[in-house]
Amino acid sequence: MSRPISQQRILNVDLTRRKTWVEPVPEAELVKYLGGRGIAAKLLYERTVAGVDPLGPDNVMIFASGTLTGTNAPSSGRSSVTCKSPATGLYLKVSVGGHVGAELRYAGWDYVVLSGAASSPVYLWIDDDHVEIRDARHLWGRGTRETDDLLKTELGDEAIRTAVIGPAGENGVLFSCIMYTRYNSASRGGVGAVMGSKNLKAIAVRGRGGLTCAHGEEFYRLARQMRHSLAADSGSESLYKWGTSGSIPGLDEMGMLASYNFSQVAIGHSERLSGQHLLDRGYLIGRESCFGCSTACHRYVHTLSDEWGHVQDAGPELETVLSLGAECGITDTEALLVANRLCNDLGMDTISAGHVISWAMETYEREFLSRETTDGLDLRFGNVEAQHALLRRIAYREGAFADLLAQGTRHAAEEVGHDSWKWAIQAKGLEQSAVDTRAAKSYALAFAVNPRGPDHLMTETFAEFGFTQESRDVIRQITGDEKYANPTLTEKRAEIVRWHEDVYAATEALGFCVFTSTAAFAVNPHNMAQLFSLGLGVPFDEQQLMLGGRRMVTVERCFNVREGARRRDDVLPPRMMNEKVPTGANAGMITDRAMLDRLLDQYYALHGWDVATAVPLRSTLKLLGLEDVCGDVAHEG
Amino acid sequence: MEAGIINLTIDAAKCTACRACELACSFAKEGVYSPTLSRIHVVQVHSAGVNVPIVCVNCAAAPCIPACPVGAVYRDLRVPVVRIKEDECIGCGACITACPFGAVDRPLGKDVALMCDLCEGEPACAVDCVYGALTFDRAYRAADVKRWAVAKATAARVRES
Repeated sequence: MSRPISQQRILNVDLTRRKTWVEPVPEAELVKYLGGRGIAAKLLYERTVAGVDPLGPDNVMIFASGTLTGTNAPSSGRSSVTCKSPATGLYLKVSVGGHVGAELRYAGWDYVVLSGAASSPVYLWIDDDHVEIRDARHLWGRGTRETDDLLKTELGDEAIRTAVIGPAGENGVLFSCIMYTRYNSASRGGVGAVMGSKNLKAIAVRGRGGLTCAHGEEFYRLARQMRHSLAADSGSESLYKWGTSGSIPGLDEMGMLASYNFSQVAIGHSERLSGQHLLDRGYLIGRESCFGCSTACHRYVHTLSDEWGHVQDAGPELETVLSLGAECGITDTEALLVANRLCNDLGMDTISAGHVISWAMETYEREFLSRETTDGLDLRFGNVEAQHALLRRIAYREGAFADLLAQGTRHAAEEVGHDSWKWAIQAKGLEQSAVDTRAAKSYALAFAVNPRGPDHLMTETFAEFGFTQESRDVIRQITGDEKYANPTLTEKRAEIVRWHEDVYAATEALGFCVFTSTAAFAVNPHNMAQLFSLGLGVPFDEQQLMLGGRRMVTVERCFNVREGARRRDDVLPPRMMNEKVPTGANAGMITDRAMLDRLLDQYYALHGWDVATAVPLRSTLKLLGLEDVCGDVAHEG
Repeated sequence: MEAGIINLTIDAAKCTACRACELACSFAKEGVYSPTLSRIHVVQVHSAGVNVPIVCVNCAAAPCIPACPVGAVYRDLRVPVVRIKEDECIGCGACITACPFGAVDRPLGKDVALMCDLCEGEPACAVDCVYGALTFDRAYRAADVKRWAVAKATAARVRES
């Protein structure tokens, strides 16, 4: 019942033919791509063709657990979902926590590769080696919470783990998500709609097997040591105490609290959005870990008044309180808990849901929308009732206006017209996360080159702020000098972004949470490589780890090149490039088009990509050993 | 195991369900990472946001001891911890039936019942718990510590009033 972590297995599921089959991953491939996100990138490239319809049966969805997921490596319980995004028409990797990734591995699987589409609603039941495609017609239309409960009852096992879509995913909302049991969400890029297009309501899994490492004792000791140093990190302490929204006061002070659809960087009563407020006022009733995590940043909260009925649910995260809160001009804590609950249950990404509504609110206030065109909703900033109603309507695509918003901000702005594209906070078709990139140049560059669109969840360059000695050390290691730990500088940004890309990709492939290696730094390339080596029983060093990360980033880029994306697509939302920070500590700051162009020149050159087109050079692919995978798109320069 | 009583104290309110205890246990006992083979299990009650670690609590009147038809479950009087003689266990599951907590189990592929033995005095699960949900000490020290915490809180209130 136990197997070595080096022996990886793919569960292939063809939903059209209702067939499943098993496929091993050669160990050499695992070492080359680091597993998880890396193998998923290669599989997606190989198993799809250019121009594949993201919501058609030929799109492929890859659920991948990290290579160390299920071991005692700290905070290594994460997994990913990879497919072509219906929001962007480009590469989509979504990382997610919780317990599903580990459960899948204990069931004997490292990857679940879904292709085809079922003719009627089904769910996938993985009970160790027993895999079954089951009828889900009775679950279709139900919320994620109820579906999770019903699956537990139906399968007679409270300990199953589930990945479930809600009505939004069923109805093809382009920012629908997949909820992992209760606390976690694979959110971005419309990953829920891809699952819905396959008529797959849920994956339920129960695993009773085990995993072994090649050098068990040494692996255990190193991982334990890392666990304790991670738990002792000051960043972890704050994440434990207040969760991700504990950084609201800090963002406020830095003048980076994205508000009113990014037209402001501060909002009155911002403290009501904070994790401190959740704790102090008694909204917080529990803290939750992902599998194997020593930080426990997730929250479980409830409402205190009866205004909205008694609501309790997981979250809200920092991005949720910013996107559904400050960006929509809302600081009513309870209203936010309700909006968060709505998104979780309906199965929608809170970042995009918040930003498509904040865009609509600004458009309404500028009088390019009216009550007639919003189906009767008074969409002023701060109107919580209107926001809640709109969230429900979007999930069910009820009425012409909600149906329009369900297709994302880019499409909505094209339809509404006028100048509304100027305040559509999106690039590549993805709504930007509520991170102000104008005063942080590595962030701006990283967001622009992000293959899935502008957010902090493919690469994050937190170290450039130089808040701690550890982060300044990281910047010195990358650039040779601590002085570059300054987000307003434009020098060395390409180097900083590329280093973080490599580390971030490797971190995720191994299953670690990126907080451990790019926010706290107790997990680093050195000890990750050591664990990889001890776990798999192969000689492996830091350089190989970073190279594995680079391969992932390059294959992901090549996927987008194959879809027709070029340098012109590596942009930021118009407001981020054209409107200066209005007030606060960063007043007057901007990363404009010309500055971004200079950063991009450096970045592409550093990567060995053609600077004019952003297409990887053949020589670069050769150097990385990727010619056999994505040589078809190489730039012959 | 050192002389004296060892006690594992569980504080469910502090448990975040990271399940490091399950991994520590299965690795210490079986050399494998497998929650199924762990002697401790974290049960997540999702609808309430509460996590409850469940493990043998060494009942004073342990019902598993008289339930065992072959006398394989016994109390180690040195400590005194309830143990299973694995070489005498016939894997009938009578102890599983008798245990009111579900703390004893015989997972698929195992011929004997698995029960926590407090790792010879240094429980691996508690060593790896960074949240303070699992702690170990001499028995009754737990109540002692709690008494002091309550007394100090009371003292502070008395001083304030």
